[in-house]
Amino acid sequence: MPDPVVALTAFIVVLVLLIALFAPERGLVWRWREMGRLNERVYIEDTLKHIYKCQMNGRSPTIESIAGAVDINADQAAHLIAVMTERELVVMTDDHLKLTPGGVNAALHVIRAHRLWERFLADETGLEESGWHRLADRYEHGRSPEELGELERQLGYPTHDPHGDPIPSSSGQFVPHGGQPLPSMPINVPLRIVHLEDEPDVIYAQIVAEGLAPGQQIRIISQTPQAIRFWADGDEHVLAPVVAGNISVVVEQAAEKPQPVARLSDLKQGESAVVSGIAPACRGAERRRFLDLGILSGTRVNAEFLSPSGDPMAYRIRETLIALRREQADLIYIRREEAAS
Amino acid sequence: MSAQTEQRENIIKLADQLRWEVGQGFHEQLMEDLYTDAARLADRAVTRPDSKERFDLDRTIDRLVTSRVWGFPMMILLFALVFWITITGANVPSGFLSSILIDQLHPILKGAAASIGMSAFLSGLLFDGMYLATAWVISVMLPPMAIFFPLFTLLEDFGYLPRVAFNLDNIFKKSGAHGKQALSMMMGFGCNAAGVVATRVIDSPRERLIAIITNNFALCNGRWPTQILIATVFIGALVPPALAGLVSALAVVGIAVLGVLLTFAASWTLSHTILRGEVSTFSLELPPYRPPRVWQTIYTSMIDRTMYVLWRAVVFALPAGAIIWLSANVSIGGVSVAEHLINFLNPVGILIGLNGVILLAYIVAIPANEIVIPTVLMLTVLVTGTSSQGAGAGVMFEIDSNTTLLNLLHAGGWTLLTAINLMLFSLIHNPCSTTIYTIYKETGSLKWTAVAALSPLALGLIVTFVVAQVWRLFGG
Repeated sequence: MPDPVVALTAFIVVLVLLIALFAPERGLVWRWREMGRLNERVYIEDTLKHIYKCQMNGRSPTIESIAGAVDINADQAAHLIAVMTERELVVMTDDHLKLTPGGVNAALHVIRAHRLWERFLADETGLEESGWHRLADRYEHGRSPEELGELERQLGYPTHDPHGDPIPSSSGQFVPHGGQPLPSMPINVPLRIVHLEDEPDVIYAQIVAEGLAPGQQIRIISQTPQAIRFWADGDEHVLAPVVAGNISVVVEQAAEKPQPVARLSDLKQGESAVVSGIAPACRGAERRRFLDLGILSGTRVNAEFLSPSGDPMAYRIRETLIALRREQADLIYIRREEAAS
Repeated sequence: MSAQTEQRENIIKLADQLRWEVGQGFHEQLMEDLYTDAARLADRAVTRPDSKERFDLDRTIDRLVTSRVWGFPMMILLFALVFWITITGANVPSGFLSSILIDQLHPILKGAAASIGMSAFLSGLLFDGMYLATAWVISVMLPPMAIFFPLFTLLEDFGYLPRVAFNLDNIFKKSGAHGKQALSMMMGFGCNAAGVVATRVIDSPRERLIAIITNNFALCNGRWPTQILIATVFIGALVPPALAGLVSALAVVGIAVLGVLLTFAASWTLSHTILRGEVSTFSLELPPYRPPRVWQTIYTSMIDRTMYVLWRAVVFALPAGAIIWLSANVSIGGVSVAEHLINFLNPVGILIGLNGVILLAYIVAIPANEIVIPTVLMLTVLVTGTSSQGAGAGVMFEIDSNTTLLNLLHAGGWTLLTAINLMLFSLIHNPCSTTIYTIYKETGSLKWTAVAALSPLALGLIVTFVVAQVWRLFGG
């Protein structure tokens, strides 16, 4: 029988070794596989995306900007440009790097893949919002047009990704969202969010934390160089202009004045109200489930009783008791009825 | 022809353009309007009878079973009652079945085999091996299943189980799982395979997978007898006889509670590593209470379970019985295969505070946890050569007297550590082959089946190893 101290020490050493090898994202095996994934094809596709975005924004891509966007050094970026020129994806004219028509098509294909995958992650999985972009960055590579067509069909031919970016059709057509940055809009005008920029991560995380989503109605209350205050679906939000600049809006045509909205989660035990709608942030399976349960505009709900562990709450909806967690109840808008019993 | 084609092209082009103009929320809006219109039509056309009285009764019951003060105590009491009825109630029919199938029918079969001149080898393989293993599984497993599942179904029929999910949901939410996992976990206390099937009520795939993988931590009926026996013989013997019953019962409950805690811990770990993500959908319907249909429930659940146990006994226990008997009776170089294997497994067994006999028993008992104890006893006799006990090589048996049992196990080199680690390992090891097969059928994925089968085994080896080493470090 081995000495317990020796055995335990050996066990801990083995455990540490296994963790160092297999830990997700930091382990050796994961890094090694990641390196295998990052081949030339992936670099080229990322570069195409970068140059395309620069052209859309009227900026000029440089070796340095490519190196930064694709996460390689300048030498590698220069080599990449050489390879891509050879394959007639990019041309140098007047010292400007531009995509050839073939390059534009290739770039649109990758963008289409990225946005379709984001749509998929948003609608069909329960993954966190802040993780969609990074995962889509992995899944977008090496997809055939047939694969994307199948994915598109499965998702019901969506026109926009969850951030509001248009998804190019298989022939490469799309209509830009046409929104303006929030800080550039006049105050006290009804607006609608059409797009949330998901890069850089830090700023996007702040937007997600505020619970904003494309489709929401908002109205600016006041604006200073330090902060912009606005209503969004009945809640007041305050953001720094640099963050708000990543939110694109259009003027809402059907200009009914957005008014403060209460949420189902505001309802206390014993209170009742009428549903006025479902939040735009609620999508896919969850939205369908709400509709199936009969949570529709005009439906009466009554908060019956709370779980002894503090959550969920049981609501009486259409003569049925349905328990919803706080997160779910947050997504349902209600109208309180003072007179109704 | 060409004009037609052109026209078609134009329409497609127009449709493509309009698609962008109708905007992002078009599908949702359309669907929502359809539902709203349907609801309005229904509200206008359907009249509902007034059912205020029943409604008030339901509300009173709900207030009681989900109250802050009474909710949890009532739940614990009710389930304690179900388990108590199952365990005590199963003793009588279990004893009855085992006396018929094992004490009476087995000698008759052996005698009949001898009288028609069947070779000892064949009659041993058929009756000592295959028949006995099957008989064991039936007599140990059938009665508790026939009691537990009807009781469980009655609670479900009455409408109480969804309230349990409702009460416990917050704890499951914190471990990244679905409240309905409470139901599949409870079902798992009866049988893990049934628990895995019960996860069908969970509609989001990620949470369902978590529920399937962690179901094994619910101590199933097949493992209760092992826990109770070892706790009575070893743990109960530590205290004065007056307290022995209470202490050993507490030890078994402690193991079951440890299993529940492990369920939460494993769910949390899974939902923060390989199954990352938030709950995709959650809604829990709390149906109205209704008087359970007692006889119908008892009848269908008895028939279902009986058929299930018989099927399982035949498909999985029969071959296991054959293998156990063969391993004890086929010799290589004068020593039986079983002893070779035991000697081979012994160093590993000792390292994790068990022994080769127990490990071999767990390997051959993968088809059914019920035969672990009989197999351990048979192998211990085989190894120690105690001739006063047992019924011959490869013949499983049980001992009625605790003292005799204790002496036999002491002769096999058992200590208190062996007993504790056996109880731990019985809780934390791979699920039985029926459950593994069910997991494969439910998930349709070899990968998740492997995760569900191997990760508890790895955890069990780690836990018993650490316990053994720490024990030896401090207790000697």
